Amino acid sequence: AQNSLIIALQHHDIFDLESPNADTEVLPKGIAFSFIKAVHAVNQRLVSHNSSESLGFEVILIANECSEESKVKIVENVKHYGMEICKFYFCKKDEVIKTLQSNNVKLFLSTDSDEIYKALHADVPAAVLYDQTGVLDQLKVTFSGDIIGLPEDSLDSLADLGFSEAQIKTFKSAKICMKEFAGLIGEMRRRFGHENSPLCTCLITVWGSRNICLSALKTLGGWGLDVDEAFCMAGAPCSPILALVKPHILWDGGLHNLRDVPNFEL
Amino acid sequence: MSLDPIQVMKGPDPIPNTCPSASNGESKASWEDSKDIHENTKKPKTGPVRRARKVEGGIFFPKPENAVTIAVSSRVLFLTETEQKVFEQKGVEEYLRYQVEHENEPFAPGPAFPFVKALETVNARLRELYPDSEELFDIVLVTYNHAHVGVRLINTINYHNLFIERFCMTGGSSPIGYLKAWHTNLYLSADAEKVQEALAEGIAAATMFMPEKEVEVSETQLRVAFDGDAVLFSDESERIFKAHGLDKFFEHERENENTLLDHGPLKGFLEVLGKLQKKFYAKGHRLDCPIRTYLVTARSAASSGIRALKTLRAWGLEIDEALFLAGAPKGPMLEKIRPHIFFDDQMFHVEGAREMGAFAAHVPYGIAQKYPHKKSTNAGK
Repeated sequence: AQNSLIIALQHHDIFDLESPNADTEVLPKGIAFSFIKAVHAVNQRLVSHNSSESLGFEVILIANECSEESKVKIVENVKHYGMEICKFYFCKKDEVIKTLQSNNVKLFLSTDSDEIYKALHADVPAAVLYDQTGVLDQLKVTFSGDIIGLPEDSLDSLADLGFSEAQIKTFKSAKICMKEFAGLIGEMRRRFGHENSPLCTCLITVWGSRNICLSALKTLGGWGLDVDEAFCMAGAPCSPILALVKPHILWDGGLHNLRDVPNFEL
Repeated sequence: MSLDPIQVMKGPDPIPNTCPSASNGESKASWEDSKDIHENTKKPKTGPVRRARKVEGGIFFPKPENAVTIAVSSRVLFLTETEQKVFEQKGVEEYLRYQVEHENEPFAPGPAFPFVKALETVNARLRELYPDSEELFDIVLVTYNHAHVGVRLINTINYHNLFIERFCMTGGSSPIGYLKAWHTNLYLSADAEKVQEALAEGIAAATMFMPEKEVEVSETQLRVAFDGDAVLFSDESERIFKAHGLDKFFEHERENENTLLDHGPLKGFLEVLGKLQKKFYAKGHRLDCPIRTYLVTARSAASSGIRALKTLRAWGLEIDEALFLAGAPKGPMLEKIRPHIFFDDQMFHVEGAREMGAFAAHVPYGIAQKYPHKKSTNAGK
């Protein structure tokens, strides 16, 4: 498709390589399985509404540090499960960012928050691939209202809360990446009605007040995305809510997964 | 809400409390306070500093399990009849378009509005007396509206100066799971089905209605009135009355005078109100306590009421005023009390209350839902 939303996943998220059954020919399914299925469903619906639809998702697989044997196994398993993966990139661990940058990736999904943070820091759009235990019939994309709702100068004043300059730069980077992605998702979302949509978008504001949430809703609207669901936690724990929302993708700009800001509890 | 010793909340500060530019310019008490926090507590820029949630004069947000969480839907907090009609007659797409078109027009207050305002008054008093405590009312807007309506809802909350910072707009999915995630103590909605689902999950819930007459309620004291059977207590006695009539009912109550009644769906809510009341009493505010509770029951004081009182006493619950009407209509009594909310399981009484200008809430629980009150048999209990 011409207007592709290229999403990059890693092989260890697609297949469960930690599982005791990882030695068999057929690899056990990993966390990204539900996501890939949901993406496939969106693509199918887009085409069914309009056969010359140019907008769609493209999933590419990145595998680092693989033996020749593993490479074959990965490709075979993708075929076995009938996954629509267009391209495979086998590279070294430190080449991942470069690979992402040179392939016009609109979103790099990972379960590793350090990786996500590093990618964002290099201006590569990255978000959390959420652990999906259930099977949803919708692709769910969640955005963080804290990053989106804070105006530029307020992001700067996060320094007063102890965030480093590097971290703040990363949040700003994340916001720019989110904008592009939100615009594309918004366009896709408009292809479907409010009911029975294969794609569902959500805003969650964890620390911000209602006016931060309001600002985020308006900003997203300005970027071309009217979210379906919105949650404002105002400091209440968000994991019980996320457990109900069950997103596949969580764009938090690295904010909620920071590890090197020692006094922040989430 | 569980009453553990007063906890100081740890954790990240909500970002906007330190970013004055995040407020929308209107001067509201909470935002003014936040600005002061930022100016008075400037921290050195070397590394992160843990700030405890308690800041003098500051407003913080309690943890849901420590607070008395009241979940309200947009249709009871505000008046949304016009929009509701658009939805019913023209469908969801047109409804959402209408909402977005009118997003800068605030909604008018709905039946739960005075109740929510009264909760805020109690919170203000609690914060004065116990500035570190999380034992407060926490109001969460829980609606299965799409987030498209979010802008209009937040604009309305700002317009009316309500202290609601938490919400769930579920975009059409059932709100019930979210009620549990928020440790909801009471859920108010316009949708009887959702309320019944909540009751089935053990969450106190009711549908609310606008009174038919204009009424002024207290701005300094929260007044909550409860029916007895099938609200505070189970519907067991109600069942006897419906199945076997008044005499059998009296007989049964007499025989079982010393047996406690089983609890009803709103017992827990009365309990948390009582715990908050005790906090005021502990600081010498028994006479001017900003929470007052009422029992308004068709039972009669001389006979069947005794069992109700004994049960309440055994549960350790105090109710400020118990009104035994012996079958007389509840409306006139409610007109005198002017509660912010009156819970009853029978639509007949809810309608009567509305006619007299009371804010009534229907608890769709128990036998009365299958066998509604017949107007001709307005007999005393």
